[in-house]
Amino acid sequence: MNMKRFSFWVTFAVLVFFYLPILMLVITSFNESRFGGVWRGFSMRWYFQLFSEETLWKALKNSLLIGIGATLVSSVLGTLAALSLHRYRSMLQKAHYGLIYTPLVVPDVLMGISLLLFFVTIHLQLGLFTIFVAHTTFCLSYVTFVILSRLQTLDHAIIEAAEDLGANYWQIFWRIKLPQLFPAILSGALLAFTLSIDDFVITFFVAGPGSTTLPIYIYSLMKFGSTPIINALSTVLIVATFAIVWIVQSITREQK
Amino acid sequence: MKFFAWLLCTCLILLTSCSSSERELHIYSWGDYINPEVVKKFEEQYHCRVILDTYDSNESMYSKLKSGATGYDIIFPSNYILDLLNKQNMLQEIDKQKIPNLKYLDTHLIDLLKANVEANSIPYMLTFSGIGYRQDHITHMIDSWDAFGQSKWRGRMTMLNDFRETIGAGLKYLGYSVNSTNPEEINAATDQLIKWRKNLAKFESEQYKNGIATAEFLVVHGYSGDILQVMQEDSGVNFLYPKEGAIISCDYLAIPKNAPEFELAHQFINFLYEPKITALNMKWTLFICPNKEAYQYLEPALRDNPVLFPSEETLGKMELILDVGDDVVKYYRAWDRIKSG
Amino acid sequence: MKSKFEEVGLTFPSALWLLVFFLIPTSVIIFYAFKPGDLYGGIQEGWTLDNIKNLFTPHHLVILWRTIWFSLITTAVCLLLALPTGFFLAQTSLKNRRILLLLIVVPFWTSFLIRVFAWKSLLHPEGFLKKTLVFLHFVNDDTLLLYNAGAVLLVMIYTYLPFAILPLFTAAEKFNFNLFEAAMDLGASRSQAFYKVFIPSIKPGILTAFLMVFIPAMGAYVIPDIVGGINNEVLGNKIAQRTFVDRDLPEASSLSLALAMAVLLPMMVIFWLQADSDKKIKKKGF
Repeated sequence: MNMKRFSFWVTFAVLVFFYLPILMLVITSFNESRFGGVWRGFSMRWYFQLFSEETLWKALKNSLLIGIGATLVSSVLGTLAALSLHRYRSMLQKAHYGLIYTPLVVPDVLMGISLLLFFVTIHLQLGLFTIFVAHTTFCLSYVTFVILSRLQTLDHAIIEAAEDLGANYWQIFWRIKLPQLFPAILSGALLAFTLSIDDFVITFFVAGPGSTTLPIYIYSLMKFGSTPIINALSTVLIVATFAIVWIVQSITREQK
Repeated sequence: MKFFAWLLCTCLILLTSCSSSERELHIYSWGDYINPEVVKKFEEQYHCRVILDTYDSNESMYSKLKSGATGYDIIFPSNYILDLLNKQNMLQEIDKQKIPNLKYLDTHLIDLLKANVEANSIPYMLTFSGIGYRQDHITHMIDSWDAFGQSKWRGRMTMLNDFRETIGAGLKYLGYSVNSTNPEEINAATDQLIKWRKNLAKFESEQYKNGIATAEFLVVHGYSGDILQVMQEDSGVNFLYPKEGAIISCDYLAIPKNAPEFELAHQFINFLYEPKITALNMKWTLFICPNKEAYQYLEPALRDNPVLFPSEETLGKMELILDVGDDVVKYYRAWDRIKSG
Repeated sequence: MKSKFEEVGLTFPSALWLLVFFLIPTSVIIFYAFKPGDLYGGIQEGWTLDNIKNLFTPHHLVILWRTIWFSLITTAVCLLLALPTGFFLAQTSLKNRRILLLLIVVPFWTSFLIRVFAWKSLLHPEGFLKKTLVFLHFVNDDTLLLYNAGAVLLVMIYTYLPFAILPLFTAAEKFNFNLFEAAMDLGASRSQAFYKVFIPSIKPGILTAFLMVFIPAMGAYVIPDIVGGINNEVLGNKIAQRTFVDRDLPEASSLSLALAMAVLLPMMVIFWLQADSDKKIKKKGF
């Protein structure tokens, strides 16, 4: 069983590798010392300081606003796009497919600078709106592909049966397709939301005055000091992520 | 479905609870530049909210403004970028009538350093750049810019990620002017910097503060006020002005065109020149604000601090960075060469 | 009756959005790349090839080469680590698989910046990890863990490894492990079976994994900025510098075009390889 044992150990090493920095972050967030490295005792002071940081809450609010906005718009656009890609097979759809696929393979930096130049050229002021536009743009492609792959595995027998019984396209859509698609749309939306909340590079290029998002705030903390608060923030975010994943997992398991 | 509805409700509550109808003053400044206490006092006195965005170099501030980031009421350009902003017509004229506290301006200091009271701006702070170092790790510190040439500290030193400051250090070391436009002098300074570069960990304009505080770095090219802030908490850190001469930049308050809160901006500038408020600010930033009435409100420890208030002799060797106009391209090319080694 | 009108109507919203906010901005870059810049962050009249010519200065070529090199190493290491991991995941029990997948994906859901920052703290010259390594005599006291190519590669591999594991696992999951037994019954050794049966059939997964690591790695910006040193500048950093510091938007655009080309070429190769293997499969009548 040489292959199996070898691959097991590699997997184990990979997991240790993944969690090493995270463990470090959590431990140092409870370190009394202002500068990591030397343990000076257990303390929750950074968590208290974190909760009284006004700039943090403003950044979080901005991130949520943009995240929800981008998720909603990209989910709607993505669903429509997936439906049309699935239903039709024309030259238009081939071009459409290329248009949707390309943003996935463009590096962040390129997308950021192209949008910045575009906004500058049309004299659109940089701010929350420009960030919202940028986020929707890259989320759109991800949402489309998630929904498209689900569409391709839909139970066509039911749809054909409904057609035979005389239902038109829109009845089929609302009563059969959409409920079946709903988990996929939710997955796509969740993916879009995650991508938007965590985006740094593109946001960095198109942000304007007072439109700090959470990643930009974290970056400025990293650049301008006050390191222990970041550790506390990271731990909170990690715990929150685990919690959300746990909740979502429980819900999907219930539905099954 | 239930989870989704709950999520939506939470978000709606969060969003609707965070709106305000107060006036907002948008300030774009360097990091750690204004005492948060000063900001709070202003917010209380004038019933408004102050929103602070930060930048780590004049150039990135200029680029952001140029590429359409309107909405800032106050910016803090250094003098050499101020010239550029004026040439590009990006500033509004400041109504000095609205700033009666300007009478406290320390004109002696301004003249001594040959900084001018420029158009469309008010001097705010004098920043000196020199060398910060860990005296608990280094027994024999070198009083020269050539500290960066010492290979024994290799990988534990940083220089500013600011091409005028860093190339300026090279120029000063070789005895040239910080504002030289002579290609031979600039080339010589570039070669010198390429030699120093081998010993540097990074070019860093902000993180060196934390770096030297955690002993990640042992020798840093930095601003006097920043290092003084660290020194107050950590006696293992010290600061020196190199013997070849340190470098000054004078930062000004300016109001960009299309600033939404023109009146409020003036009130803020006037507020900053209130002597007690200036003293409060100086205690925080540890740079000199040229307000002659403010000095008396500082503690003796600060008033007599040679880093905060260098001697006339040290000041005499210092040089102010000025705009070099179109010759700045020479510096760009030099910086590219230095960055690629 | 599917009408053309309905099709256009359904396609219109997403296509319009991407046209305006993706296609047009991309053309703006191409436009800017051929315009002369002024010193003040704007562009001047007329057209020029100077920005493209400047791409071929040693300064830029070094950076381009370094970007490609870093990305290739990162991709290679990621593939090497992801292959056994994907293999293990694919043939372990379903329950284990779910848990392991979750464990792999969740760190990826925490903030990217924070993970990079965590590495910066971990690799601190006076930090816990360094002290341990010195104690175990793996490194000297004055070896630097941060601000060098090693640190950049380490963090890049850390960041992009999940992108390699997932497609490889997906492909490995579809593999019929009975083929392994069949090959060995026919006389092949374990490793022969692995290399001649397993690897070729998950080739699409390998190609996808390659793209999913190589492309973002080419666009890396934050990682070299935070844990990289003076000699570790890559294209992403240069583009950011030209945009925000040098205020030379035309040159930033030409560098962006260079990055786009450097990304498109491997993509085309990979697509050709995938189409080629599809053709081969069709020929053999599977």
